[in-house]
Amino acid sequence: MDRQETAHDLTPLNLPIARRSVLKGIGAGALAAGAGGMLAACGSGIKGASSVTKKDIINIGFITPLTGDLADFGASDKFVLNTIRATATYRKGFTVGGKKYKVNIIVEDSQSSATRATQVAQQLIQSNNVDMIVTTSTPETTNPVAVAAESHGTPCLSTVVPWESWYAGLGGDPLKPTKKFEFCTMFFFGLEQFLGCFEPMWNRIPNNREVACMYPNDSDGNAFRDGFEPLIKSVGYKVVDGGAYPDGTTDFTSMITKFKSNHCEIYSNCPLPPDFVTFWHQANQQGFKPKLATVAKVLLFPSDVTALGSLVNNIATDSWWGPYMPYSSSLTGQTAASLATAFETATSTQWTQSIGSSYALFEIAKEAFSAVSDPHDKSEVANALHTVNYTGMCGPINFGASTAPAPGVGVIPPVGVQWKKTTGKYPFEMKVVDNSLNKSVKIEAPLEPTNA
Amino acid sequence: MIWVNDIVQGVLLGGLYALFACGLSLMFGVMKVINLAHGDLAVVAAYLAAGLVTVLHMPTALSILVSIPLFAIIGYVLWRTVLQASLNRSVLTTLLVTFGMSIVIENALQQFFSANSRSLSIGALATDHFNVGSQITVGYLDLAILIAAVVVLLGLQLFLSRTRQGRLIRAVADDREAAQLAGADYRHIFGIAAAIAFGTVAVAGTAYGVYTTFDPTTGTTQLLLLFAFEAVVIGGLGSLWGTLVGGILLGVVQDIGAQISTADLLLAGQLFFLLVLVIRPQGITGSRRTA
Repeated sequence: MDRQETAHDLTPLNLPIARRSVLKGIGAGALAAGAGGMLAACGSGIKGASSVTKKDIINIGFITPLTGDLADFGASDKFVLNTIRATATYRKGFTVGGKKYKVNIIVEDSQSSATRATQVAQQLIQSNNVDMIVTTSTPETTNPVAVAAESHGTPCLSTVVPWESWYAGLGGDPLKPTKKFEFCTMFFFGLEQFLGCFEPMWNRIPNNREVACMYPNDSDGNAFRDGFEPLIKSVGYKVVDGGAYPDGTTDFTSMITKFKSNHCEIYSNCPLPPDFVTFWHQANQQGFKPKLATVAKVLLFPSDVTALGSLVNNIATDSWWGPYMPYSSSLTGQTAASLATAFETATSTQWTQSIGSSYALFEIAKEAFSAVSDPHDKSEVANALHTVNYTGMCGPINFGASTAPAPGVGVIPPVGVQWKKTTGKYPFEMKVVDNSLNKSVKIEAPLEPTNA
Repeated sequence: MIWVNDIVQGVLLGGLYALFACGLSLMFGVMKVINLAHGDLAVVAAYLAAGLVTVLHMPTALSILVSIPLFAIIGYVLWRTVLQASLNRSVLTTLLVTFGMSIVIENALQQFFSANSRSLSIGALATDHFNVGSQITVGYLDLAILIAAVVVLLGLQLFLSRTRQGRLIRAVADDREAAQLAGADYRHIFGIAAAIAFGTVAVAGTAYGVYTTFDPTTGTTQLLLLFAFEAVVIGGLGSLWGTLVGGILLGVVQDIGAQISTADLLLAGQLFFLLVLVIRPQGITGSRRTA
């Protein structure tokens, strides 16, 4: 958040407007497809003029960071949207309560800014009259959207956000997660799953049980400091906290000195991508070489990896989706592997984890709408969202499960992966090295120390 | 020894700040133009270097041999076409114009290169280092950046004070009308100064791209631009070697602050900046005359 605010300091008021107008150019396709929504928006001004068509359309708003710091997360969303729109289910429309409805997806860019995310969420709710909002990628996007949806009574589904952060963002207490938010649901995982994913890997590499923790002074970093460090201690590892450094730090000497003098052999973090690149370069330079690095929030995507080159080899992270997932689309039956290949063919870039989670958003939306009698009855749709129990691109998701950590939270267990040098088309690939949380995923490669 | 290491790393970090601040300092010192697009231009330079490396297969370090002259030409053309015209209106107009340039550049980069982050590879040199004693590590890359900063800033300072062309630039900067009366074409001379400033931006952008990652918004979202401004102000407006001192001091103060508490890295830097503003508003080098 520090950095967000600084960005605003440096870029006075008219920047967002200028950006927006350019984005319109980029999103021309999205706009054309969103024309129905725009018509509906105009229609709402002239009462009754287009009320017939408006009623026959289900509008789904989709908010994702297509530009800005978090653009890596949204980089595959254009492809996912094209794929979703091309499915028979979305092309022909949903049958709800015996009646056929056209489906219109309206895409909005959060520009990686929480302020902008709130704006577009309100715009979707008030002007576009969307029947549901789906949103993805980090608390900066999903939390403000969920808050707007909950307060305006619009069904909302989020993903790629730790559930604790999402729950706290809506005003709940993750330590006593009993409160149910009427309109909001999400699927992803939380700190417990991070540990469940990382700890088995730590245990498999002989080490001195000292964990170097690099958590910044931002919402994710503080969540890790408050929530993850106690979990690390609870499984018998010692925490060496490098301190709440500000986002955008250009020199990590003091932190590296601390990790070195404590002889930390495990490394855990949740930084912004550029900060990790700076840190990892300097750590290598100054001789901090942990036996195993398990990173969160960075190296999730191939574009992060190229920046570090060979320094990325055998760094481990969590993976919630990939071609190795034994799952397939609930809309078309397309497998995860085939979807990843389709992405690589269509864009000539390496697959990313976001493809699966964004895809599942639209599967779940379909599930929820199919279970109601009136798609425009927001309470009914919200209730249906809370009871979705299906298996699709991200595997089985059950919002009503008794094991759910909080009401309205569907858990998808991540697997442990390492970036491995390959001889193939791309220099590095994510390979599954640990399946402790999800045995249905096959191990692809042995777990190796980051620094031998 | 930990403190000595902090100071060493701080000096090295300061080299990056100073190198980044050089073009800013020159544009301000000579033309009185605060170039808000400075950070974005550096990002353009980084993309240019990335392009040269990919297309021409040239080593990253050599790519500056192409990007410096290219940027110098861009600088001259931009000055003669856009910036001079806005300076003729008022200094405030240049702020608005460079701010507009910043937005245009950022969005154009996004359009062409997508929002993905990139980095410039220099292979093993990125992490190669030598040790001084047991505690102090000096990275070759950081040292190279510091040396580049010293060479560029001191070289330019000498150029401005010792050469005929440099004296012309200073003359025009000091009193444009008088220089015009003596027959100097101030537009051309300012254009040359802009070309030099842009040339240094090419070096700074490439250095930054090697140091960490960049994306189209890096120029405004990263704090580096702010640090560069601070380095210029701390060192003394208009003095190039002051900018070098300012950058290094800022780096050292930040690293010492971080050693006291990791969270205080930025705070220490900003407090130092404020302190300088309060105690010595003319900057450390204290020269009131322009470069």
